[in-house]
Amino acid sequence: MNHENNADREWKKGGAELLILSLLEQQARHGYDICKLIEARSGGDLRFHVTTLYPLLYRLEERGFVQGLWVEKANQRRRRYYSLTAEGRKALAQQRHNWQEFVQAMSRVIGVENA
Amino acid sequence: MPDWKLVIGNRFTELRIDPSGVAAVIEELSQHMEDRYQELLAAGADEPEAHRRILNELADAQLLAASLPRALRKPGRNTPPPAASPSGNVFFDFARDLRYGLRSMLRSPAFSFFAVLTLALGIGASTTVFTMVNTLLLHPLVAKDPSRLVCLYTTDMNSQKQTGSQLPISYPNLQDYRARNSMFSGLSGFSPPMVMTLTANGEPERLFAQLVTQDYFETFGLTPAKGRFFLPQEDSTPGSAPVAILSYSAWKIRFNSAPDILGKILDINGSPYTVVGVAPRGFLGASAVFGPDVWLPATMAQQALPGPLQDVLHARSKPFFQAVARLKPGVLRSQAEASLQPLAATLRQQYPDDNAGHTVSVLPVTAALFAGTGGETGVVFVSAVLLVIVGLVLLIACSNVANLLMARAVSRRAEIGVRLAIGASRGRLLRQLLSESMLLGLMGGMVGIGVGYEGCRFLWSFFPPEVVRNMVQPKLDGSVFVFALLISLATGFIFGVIPSLRASRTGLVDSLKEETRVAGLGGRSARFQKVLLTGQVALSLISLIAASLFLRAVQRAYDIDPGFDNLHIAVFMMNPEQAGYDAERLKEFHLDVAERVAKTPGIEAVSWASNMPFWSSASRGVLIEGQEQRRKDETISTVTNTVDVDYFKAMRIPLLEGRPFTAADQEGSLPVVIINQDLAQQYWPNGDALGKRLHISGDPTMRQIVAVVKTSNYTTLGEAPQPCLYLPLGQNPSGAFNLYVRTSGDPSLVLAAVQREVREIGPRVQISDVRTGAKIVDQVLFAARVVLSLLGMFGLLALALASVGLYGILAYSVSGRRREIGVRMALGASRWSVLSLVLRQGMTLVCIGTGVGFAVSLIGGRLFSKMLFGLSPADPLSLFGASAVLLLVAALACYIPALNASRVDPMCALRER
Repeated sequence: MNHENNADREWKKGGAELLILSLLEQQARHGYDICKLIEARSGGDLRFHVTTLYPLLYRLEERGFVQGLWVEKANQRRRRYYSLTAEGRKALAQQRHNWQEFVQAMSRVIGVENA
Repeated sequence: MPDWKLVIGNRFTELRIDPSGVAAVIEELSQHMEDRYQELLAAGADEPEAHRRILNELADAQLLAASLPRALRKPGRNTPPPAASPSGNVFFDFARDLRYGLRSMLRSPAFSFFAVLTLALGIGASTTVFTMVNTLLLHPLVAKDPSRLVCLYTTDMNSQKQTGSQLPISYPNLQDYRARNSMFSGLSGFSPPMVMTLTANGEPERLFAQLVTQDYFETFGLTPAKGRFFLPQEDSTPGSAPVAILSYSAWKIRFNSAPDILGKILDINGSPYTVVGVAPRGFLGASAVFGPDVWLPATMAQQALPGPLQDVLHARSKPFFQAVARLKPGVLRSQAEASLQPLAATLRQQYPDDNAGHTVSVLPVTAALFAGTGGETGVVFVSAVLLVIVGLVLLIACSNVANLLMARAVSRRAEIGVRLAIGASRGRLLRQLLSESMLLGLMGGMVGIGVGYEGCRFLWSFFPPEVVRNMVQPKLDGSVFVFALLISLATGFIFGVIPSLRASRTGLVDSLKEETRVAGLGGRSARFQKVLLTGQVALSLISLIAASLFLRAVQRAYDIDPGFDNLHIAVFMMNPEQAGYDAERLKEFHLDVAERVAKTPGIEAVSWASNMPFWSSASRGVLIEGQEQRRKDETISTVTNTVDVDYFKAMRIPLLEGRPFTAADQEGSLPVVIINQDLAQQYWPNGDALGKRLHISGDPTMRQIVAVVKTSNYTTLGEAPQPCLYLPLGQNPSGAFNLYVRTSGDPSLVLAAVQREVREIGPRVQISDVRTGAKIVDQVLFAARVVLSLLGMFGLLALALASVGLYGILAYSVSGRRREIGVRMALGASRWSVLSLVLRQGMTLVCIGTGVGFAVSLIGGRLFSKMLFGLSPADPLSLFGASAVLLLVAALACYIPALNASRVDPMCALRER
């Protein structure tokens, strides 16, 4: 029943923050939305649950990278939307850069050509 | 549809997080779960299946709980810290430990309050004493590079050890040393602080002034706080420089920090002086304790000083100045002293009358700093005793808190077990527990600094208000804060380390068992508690004994016979010369006042005298006729007092032989003198002193001895006998400014009447000070009383801390043994046997502690003996009295928990889990 394979776990350790930050780059999103997007865009390979996503979100918020705000829309429940802060944008740029360097370095070592 | 809010709320409750504090989080998460639930249903799962899968996803909610935003996290009791395992970053871990420590302090406010209070008292007491040490011993002098400063004294060549062998230097000698030395970069002279009259808006006011040579402040390496110091040209011609430099506190307090103080004219002793500068803050001159209000140039001696001292600038026979000098770089004190010897020899040859038998010695400046307060060794000794006692108090406080922590560790076993279970290492856990105790220590230290500050204020409040602005102010500076910080950390460590070690050794399985075992006073950690308790009792007994020994010693000091009757006496200090009286008018004034005051009802005898009681020291050399040749180089230093005819009657000093002074002893009649028994026995051991003649060095008049009186105390209470001679006022007409009044009843009743009489006769004469006999003795015993109050306070503090500790531990032990006591009582134990069981348990420790403390006091008490005014350090009343008080208080501290134990209802106790 456990959908979490090795890649998944590694992802979560190293890249989960990057993942969340990049999903919030264009627009503010609520937690469930973020979960669904990750699952959909990874083709179901990456999955987050309540107990894995929210600790990350809260920690990002504590570090000042994202900000959560309760938003009420007509005929809808109020939801907590997370958006990137200026600091979060900086962190995202930095993490993206690091990630690319990491992937390139890995590729050079294990002999995979860049597309 | 499941109520997801309820599901999450329950999960949080299981994790001991108060759901009400995290309502928003629960709302957010429950929405997520509901969305997920709908999604699963839409994907074809049935309701139970969807429900089960969501619960599965919620399995590691602990991670979630740990990451809750700090603001929302309101953990319940015993929540393990977010990560008990190391994060790899020591500082991050430390900060987290502190945060957690703070939270656990807030969780048990009563414990934290008591621990912080206990520590604050201990640390505060230490801080007070350290501030005293810092002020008097570590930073006693405001000066640049004080280690190069020395002071110079005239000394008798043959009697280095004799009392008063270190005399001041006469101004002409001082000038010779200044001009001809090669080892000092600066050498300057200063007079003792003199009482003078400052007249402002017609109102006379007392102030202390010091005459100093021009380069005085430069010798100390100072820069003025305002204006300038004295200029070289102000040192050249006597009387040419009516300028003054104010002390910082005089400027601040007397003149309200007036910005326009420079250029202001002060009327001091009837002469105008222009203020040209303000000395730097805290500068008292070459004294660690007492400083003047104003400094005047030495060249103003004739204008500023009373009659007999007006010629100090020219008279080599009048040693009036002390000297302070700065050694040139590379020069040692011994070299400087050696280099002055040829100069001293030349002075002896050139002026044999005044300098015979005298040489000069160079001492560290500390010799001058504590003049009049028992010397530096006395201060060091008192400080050492006080430091030891506050150290004991601090140790008691530490062991109290350690005991509390031990007790608390038992109730935290479950929490510690959880942490060990989720992977915390022992070292990590130890660090966490130690940070908590360090935090307690630091909080105690912060409050302790406040306590210490108040303690200093209390201590300084002992100073008589009329001189408090001349006294050194407590230096609560960086070193005090560093001291407080260090002892806070040290105490945190000391009281924390053993309880933490024990707690971190908690067995994993034991601690996780639901039933928390409370050991009472059995078991291993309890053995340690017992040792602590016994130690506390012993330490507090030592402090109590020290306090009671001192109390008895001071009581005894009050009973010391000073050689005169101080019970019914009042002394009025005044200086008619400062109000412009010349010799003739002065004589009239003396006569009129003595006559009129004597007629006041309730007054038995009246006399003038130049010395205040306990305010004089041996300073004049005496040469005895017939023994001059033999003793040319061994001048006898004596106390000299000029007194009126009724002096011995007023003071009730017994006349052993001969006749008192009479009105016939006037200028022109046979010059006479009265000596004390000590002088008589030293030089006329056969008892034939009467009729012999002597003269005072610097004054060739031969005086005949007409009486011998009993030796009394001149410098301090209970001193070793010193020689003294009395001159009649009639033959030595100036210089007697203290009016002694003997009363038949309470002397304070006549004070107003006498002052009224004096004012009527001399309206411009200011009575600068009035003291009754009791007040005079109080002032002599000032330092002893301060030490007594401190020791008394610390002794009571130690007793209070130890008994509260005893009570706390016994009460805790009883509460842990309710079941056991219940069983005993159910099996037929009587209330009395339970009561005596608990009492015996506590009192055994107390008795062992008392025995240890008693023995240590007996052995260590000998160190005290110097301070005890002759009281034996093994004084049975102090030893047994203090032990009895301790036993009584301790018995009370044991009785209350014992009583509670005997009231345990066996039925209730057995039903309790």
